[in-house]
Amino acid sequence: MPMSDDKHEAARLELFFEAARAHPPEPSAALMAAVLRAAETGQPAPRREPLLARLRDAFGGWPALAGLATAAAAGVWIGTALPEGTIGAAEAGYLVDVAPELAFDLAGDF
Amino acid sequence: MAMPFDEHDDTPDETLLAAFAAGDAAAARRLTFRLTPRVLAHAFRLLGNRAEAEEVAQEAMLRLWRQASEWRAGEARLSTWLYRVTANLCIDRRRRAKGGTVPLDAVPEPPDTQPGAAERMQTHARAEALQAALNELPERQRQAVVLRHIEGLANPEIAMIMGASVEAVESLTTRGRRALAAALGTRKEELGYADER
Repeated sequence: MPMSDDKHEAARLELFFEAARAHPPEPSAALMAAVLRAAETGQPAPRREPLLARLRDAFGGWPALAGLATAAAAGVWIGTALPEGTIGAAEAGYLVDVAPELAFDLAGDF
Repeated sequence: MAMPFDEHDDTPDETLLAAFAAGDAAAARRLTFRLTPRVLAHAFRLLGNRAEAEEVAQEAMLRLWRQASEWRAGEARLSTWLYRVTANLCIDRRRRAKGGTVPLDAVPEPPDTQPGAAERMQTHARAEALQAALNELPERQRQAVVLRHIEGLANPEIAMIMGASVEAVESLTTRGRRALAAALGTRKEELGYADER
């Protein structure tokens, strides 16, 4: 086939390719909905940090967490080192619970 | 092809997929509206059947969601992967249909009465004629011609999608074009391009 015929043929075919590009099938609403639904059900849950990292962030970083750990350890020591025996009315007057909600939270862990 | 609200969204597909894998629901939506029309169009051109193309498009997108968390950035373009998956699903379907040519949808389009309707009908007729001729091509020729001349991809990318050499792709597109020209040449008066060039 001579070159001019090749070019002519390519130009004629291009009209058809152009027409195909101009008429793509539009996806139906049902297809789009099915694809979106599949994305929702197949989507991994947002990544969660490990428990320790979440605790660290909740308390404002490692120094705060270390302080909390120290305070907790001190609380345990004070609790276990108290002298045995009943506390008299005079001593009981000095026992003031300054943070009852904290004591309640910690009660579960110890 | 871009959907209307996707026109100015040039975030790479791969970036959106990574966001989807990290749990970003908006990224899933943007990918759906950007990629589903493309996948559907490609499947339709390979199968010639609208209903089957929709099923293939749905399955291809489902596979995309499933492997999102395992996608390795930089290894391949998402579009290359998607073209390959779509083509493989189409080939499986055609083989299951025992090699028979799948007919075009039988439901006729409603008549177009808007201004410029004659020109649009001619364009539409050409698109349909091309699809009918594509349906008659051997599988690999059809795939190569569609990727090269309708999707507008370069031969090296087509070679990656088809798992073939660039030379093989060139040969397939040349033979495919020749067969199309022969098939469509018989209808040139009917389709009104004899007087245009």
